[in-house]
Amino acid sequence: MIKKLLIANRGEIAVRIIRTCKEMGIKTVVAYSQADKDSLSLRLADKAVCIGPANSKASYLNVRNIITAAVLEECEAIHPGVGFLAENPAFAREVTEAGVIFIGPDAEVIELLGDKVKAKQTASKNKIPVIPGSEESVQNEGEALKAASEIGFPIIIKAAAGGGGKGMRIVHDKKQLKDILKIASHEAETAFSDGRVYLEKYLENPRHVEVQILADGKGNVVHLGERDCTVQQNHQKLIEESPSPGVSAEMRKEMSEDAVRLFKKLGYKGAGTIEFLVHNDNYYFMEVNARVQVEHPVSEYISGVDIIKAQILTCSGEQLTLSQKDITLNGYALECRINAKTPGKVELYLPPGGFKVRVDSFLFSGCEVSPFYDALLAKVIVHGSDRMEGITRMQRALDEFIIDGVKTNIGMQKNILKHPLFRKGNYGTDILSHILKEEKN
Amino acid sequence: METKEIFDLFERFEKSSLSEIRIKQGDMEVVLKKGVEPSSTSCAPPPVQIPGQRIQEKHNLLPPKKSDTEVISSPMVGTFYRAPAPDAPAFVEVGSKVKSGDTLCILEAMKLMNELEVEFDCEIVNVMVENAKMVEFGTPLFEVRRI
Repeated sequence: MIKKLLIANRGEIAVRIIRTCKEMGIKTVVAYSQADKDSLSLRLADKAVCIGPANSKASYLNVRNIITAAVLEECEAIHPGVGFLAENPAFAREVTEAGVIFIGPDAEVIELLGDKVKAKQTASKNKIPVIPGSEESVQNEGEALKAASEIGFPIIIKAAAGGGGKGMRIVHDKKQLKDILKIASHEAETAFSDGRVYLEKYLENPRHVEVQILADGKGNVVHLGERDCTVQQNHQKLIEESPSPGVSAEMRKEMSEDAVRLFKKLGYKGAGTIEFLVHNDNYYFMEVNARVQVEHPVSEYISGVDIIKAQILTCSGEQLTLSQKDITLNGYALECRINAKTPGKVELYLPPGGFKVRVDSFLFSGCEVSPFYDALLAKVIVHGSDRMEGITRMQRALDEFIIDGVKTNIGMQKNILKHPLFRKGNYGTDILSHILKEEKN
Repeated sequence: METKEIFDLFERFEKSSLSEIRIKQGDMEVVLKKGVEPSSTSCAPPPVQIPGQRIQEKHNLLPPKKSDTEVISSPMVGTFYRAPAPDAPAFVEVGSKVKSGDTLCILEAMKLMNELEVEFDCEIVNVMVENAKMVEFGTPLFEVRRI
């Protein structure tokens, strides 16, 4: 068992990791930027090391400073959290070479999954349904035209190295293809220093469903059910729930079996997620997130498993002690992400509480919300015996939630929760645009 | 302010229960503090990484900054070495006068020896970190006076 771990991250995920480490008897060192010098993670950790200025390129992405801090502080492991260096194979490799355990899968696995074309090919080889599209990245207009006519319009152009919607473009007909291809490739080149793009059939208004996996790299793989993340704004997830209201028992079974099979094949280690698009009665492989995800508490609530704990144990060489038959998925869990609309000082922070309500946050009254990092302030997660009970509980929790001083999206979240479309459960990724349009009128 | 007035002030401050006094008159400023170590020691307390509210104390540990001096901080996380080798003399001592481009110390990070060069001509007033101690990004290393 490791005794000391460095957290190369900030905000709520740093706090989340520290909490589990404390329960495991692991000492924590938090690597922080100057902008985060008063943050909650510094108060909770055993030690803190400043790794750079506010600009994340020079701090939370500063591989040398992070690894040096871990080595000099005699940390046996580095937890990369979510975002920043979590899915950077070069970082994982350097950490390992420095004699420190990387809490995540092996660098080669991250590398393979990070290349969206290779990841899709790997999924396809393992008999997981993939979205019809070009098998390789397309080199030129001619290849793109050929592929597009085979797939049939509308198509979507995606960056091979991609993520976060960059390099992604929808093309409705042949005439648009040439110009949009150039734009997408240029955007991919700018964002990822890799201009390769590939084509896929564009699924209109699908659901976004993912399966949570835990694995130990020794052949033991379990799933903790699915999470539905269909409610999104600009490709950013806003609400996550489990079980999904749009997935049948049969689809759930197939999806999770596919997920387990793929992760076994990959020799995957730690916590990971496989993302699918669900369209009508079909589901298609989208990508694997080779890390713990922001919305992991949803699965923790329904499975009773501490995902961070399992991740740390399996990545530091322990065998996964859980088997699939030990895992029972109970009731329903729902998460709302509370995001800041403006930076500033939090004058008053009063989180909700009560039966089956969990709040993961780094806020406290008087803290500063920095303009340098992402907008996530808090995650409110509730559990209920069924979806209606969960939604009602979440409404009650959000009604209690007070964050004074910075503008948040709590109001919008409440509007989504009360909307008949959300309550019915029958919607796709365009749900938010419908709700926002109605609000305007 | 006359010299005599300053000496009177010393005496009164000594006897008072005040721990700090700051008097400003035109261009001149006098700051008196009790129980503070002289700023010329070569070994200031090593930087301590302490979480949360204690961060503030960390700054208070630093010697009072003289108005004509400035602080050179560490640009990286690493181990601070005053000399190029264990038996070699230190790059700089208190009182050393250095020219822009001279090496002040070595910061070792991931087995790389990074020489920290000074960006302006100056005199070393204080070396604020002990040899072979770990430094963070932003840890004050040297107090210097421009020349």
